[in-house]
Amino acid sequence: MTKHVPIGLIETPFQPRLQALSTAKSWTNWAGYVSPGMLDTVEFEYFAIRNQATLFDISPMHKYRLTGPDALRVVNRLVTRDAAKLRDGRVGYALWCDEEGMVIDDGTLFRFSETDFRLCCQEPMYTWLLDTAWGFDAEITDESDEIAALSLQGPTSFSLLQDAGLEAVAEMKPFDWREIEPDLWVSRTGFTGDLGYELWVPNGKALELWDRLWAAGGPWGLKAIGFDALNICRIEAGFIAAGFDFQPVHTAMRLGRGRSPLELGFGKMVDFTKGHFNGRRALLDQQKNGLRYHLRKIEIGGFKPADGALIYHKKKREVGHVTSGVWSPTTKRNIALAEFKAPFGDGITDDLWAEIYVNEEGQWNKRLVPVTVEDKPFFINSRARATPPRPF
Amino acid sequence: MTTPTYDAIVIGAGHNGLAAAATLARKGKSVCVIERNATAGGMARNTTLAGGIKAPEIAHLLYNLHPKVKKELGLGSPRAPLEVRELPAVSLSEDGYHAVIRSGRAELADGRPHPEAAAFDEMMRRLTLFAGLLGQLSTKSPPSLEGGLASLGTLTELAGLAKLGLDLKRMGKKDMREFLRVLLSNAYDLILDDLEDGPLAGALAADAVRGAFAGPRSPGTVFTLMYRLGQGGGAQLPMGGMGAVAAAFEAAARAAGAEIRTGASVARVLTENDRAAGVVLEDGTEISGKAVLSNTGPMAAMMLAGAEHYDVEAVRRMRNQRCKGTAAKVNLVLNAAPVFPGLSPELMAGRLLIAPSTSYVERAFNPTKYGEMPANPVIEAVIPSLTDPEVAGGGRHVLSAVVGSVPYGLEGGWDAAARERLAAATLATLEKYAPGISALVTERQVLSPACIEARTGAPGGHWHHAEIGVDQILTVRPANGMAHYRFGPEGYYLCGAGAHPGGDVTGLAGRNSALQLLKDGVL
Repeated sequence: MTKHVPIGLIETPFQPRLQALSTAKSWTNWAGYVSPGMLDTVEFEYFAIRNQATLFDISPMHKYRLTGPDALRVVNRLVTRDAAKLRDGRVGYALWCDEEGMVIDDGTLFRFSETDFRLCCQEPMYTWLLDTAWGFDAEITDESDEIAALSLQGPTSFSLLQDAGLEAVAEMKPFDWREIEPDLWVSRTGFTGDLGYELWVPNGKALELWDRLWAAGGPWGLKAIGFDALNICRIEAGFIAAGFDFQPVHTAMRLGRGRSPLELGFGKMVDFTKGHFNGRRALLDQQKNGLRYHLRKIEIGGFKPADGALIYHKKKREVGHVTSGVWSPTTKRNIALAEFKAPFGDGITDDLWAEIYVNEEGQWNKRLVPVTVEDKPFFINSRARATPPRPF
Repeated sequence: MTTPTYDAIVIGAGHNGLAAAATLARKGKSVCVIERNATAGGMARNTTLAGGIKAPEIAHLLYNLHPKVKKELGLGSPRAPLEVRELPAVSLSEDGYHAVIRSGRAELADGRPHPEAAAFDEMMRRLTLFAGLLGQLSTKSPPSLEGGLASLGTLTELAGLAKLGLDLKRMGKKDMREFLRVLLSNAYDLILDDLEDGPLAGALAADAVRGAFAGPRSPGTVFTLMYRLGQGGGAQLPMGGMGAVAAAFEAAARAAGAEIRTGASVARVLTENDRAAGVVLEDGTEISGKAVLSNTGPMAAMMLAGAEHYDVEAVRRMRNQRCKGTAAKVNLVLNAAPVFPGLSPELMAGRLLIAPSTSYVERAFNPTKYGEMPANPVIEAVIPSLTDPEVAGGGRHVLSAVVGSVPYGLEGGWDAAARERLAAATLATLEKYAPGISALVTERQVLSPACIEARTGAPGGHWHHAEIGVDQILTVRPANGMAHYRFGPEGYYLCGAGAHPGGDVTGLAGRNSALQLLKDGVL
């Protein structure tokens, strides 16, 4: 019998290579695609990101193309930042909201030109984009199943690209976006806060790209990785993740589970002067009437990862919880992103304590450890921004 | 050229636009009403047929003019003269046993009591009681909880709701239960609970669905029936035609100091920093104002300001509004008074209904669902020249008929041939109750819902601008988040039938909108 509709997870074009490399056999579901949680061990993969070069398959990301005379207007109607200020050949982080100013999703906006954008994000967004573009002269195309992408991250990634014959990326600044070869677009972007690139090709050229990078990768310690190691790096970089640090509002079923960009700490990404955009009036109201929550970067005492831990003020009053917590091997700190009920986390930042449960050989102990609110990313390294990148 | 600055600009001089203008002008605001047509009045205008005969172009009777509006605007006072005659309703029967409803009571056309008079009485008592209860909500912006329980505005609104709840309890257990039982149900079941399926029942069913894309078996038609009974359910004929009503509203607006510009079409609404700033006319003239009120349909109002000024969800709601009109208008000039066997001259001048049973009304709606022309339409006809000889003269008469169940989206589209078919179906139906009437016709004017849309801008040619249904009333009229007449950019308001409480010549939508604007402190 012929299967008309594929059942189960869909394989990305890179699956043959990933499958062969996977010793851990740890697969997860990313937006309906099979994606590695880890291929080898989290530790090896994490240290490869920070000390070598790594490949992560980001093909499951949803990719949409917005084209047409009104493309810029549609993008600006969608996102909270001003896409008119994004230059051609640049990439920008963006968030977009529903009418109540709650974040629907965040993602990266790639600007080819004023009339041509690509939006990459976690959640399916096709119908929302169609609704956003209604009444405008713009076309929305779902490229999710046509474009494959690899994220090449780590301090040796530039050297690796040079060896792979892609030395043209040398002049690319962070968030630049170029067609380096026909059908091969490269952006200097990533989810690690480190030196890195993302490479975009039509599905048909995916394996060719993989093999090319892999062939050049040996001397540079290239390693394929899964999400688990990447997740540590993105927390170190202070990046938020949909479904972890905020609930994409269209997927939240309970009232009040949405969070605004202001509450997530992205006030600077909201441009109230650019004209109307979705949720603008609600966000203005929220700005006027006060935020309900603050998402902050925190350092937690001790070394026990505090994912999900409740946070107390004066050890008594519950004022928030950790949304993503991890032990950071590079900075040797116990770090996390945490959501506080306002005014805690912003107005009130002292005398905060995380409640951590420790299982000591079958016996549970509760500890209250101090919490310090931080402003800067936990992992900062100048190699991430140097242009041209320093050879390794 | 310097253009005058107004406090408020009203788009569309339909009766609601005029009511809004009058209400604002009475508070000392400078108001300019801009009307695309050469005359004000929208659906409540007269039309002049051959030989100078005046006919009500679209609407022909007053059902629901709100006493508050009448009083506040001084309609019927020397300032804005308006004279009306209460008409009995006559539900025609092919066997000549016509049912008559006079001041809410049922009788037979020959003067004998109607066998179901007692049951009808009790039903009307209940329904008008319920309608009055719901009517409390019609003179204010509908309650919402948007501001949260801590806000004073929300609490004031809740107080209104609490009063409704209290009044509901005060009705007594039996009536309260009945109210809650029937509120969202269908007219067909409700009516047939107490009445035989005949002309009397048919009259109520027809009143429940007039102008609606619904049959009496559709859910929500008890609500629309109560809406129709808001002022007791009677119908009044304005002397001088429906145009006299428009003229009264216009006079009230002018007397209050509002300016009315006819023959000028608004191309778009200007906004500055998310605030309404005025309008641009088709000829390029800019008129600035601190607030703009639109008496157009909700979608048209949105497009005038530009969809980009609305959140995606709001645009989606506007796009999905239900507004398929089903009421067509046929005006006939007759060279003599027609004969309806079994009707006295007094009753012939009444509101004549062709709705011989609830089943008939339901079946009439069947073809409508599929975009087909009904062969046996529901008709509400009136011969104003019998009451008001001045409109015709020379022994001639005008028969004005609202023909129901006529689809806006007729398969094959509305062209001259389709209108001809509609006229033929109307005459064939009338002929059953007034044999020989076709031979008296010297002229006819046929307006399909599409024609009505073209002439007035009412979306879908819809009687209420937007279907009255549970998904489009009160706090969700015209749509969720827009119930307080505020319409996108600050200072932009919806003041037409598409807003709460809905259509009919009530004047409430316009008045409420103006009051909300004043309350919001926009001016």
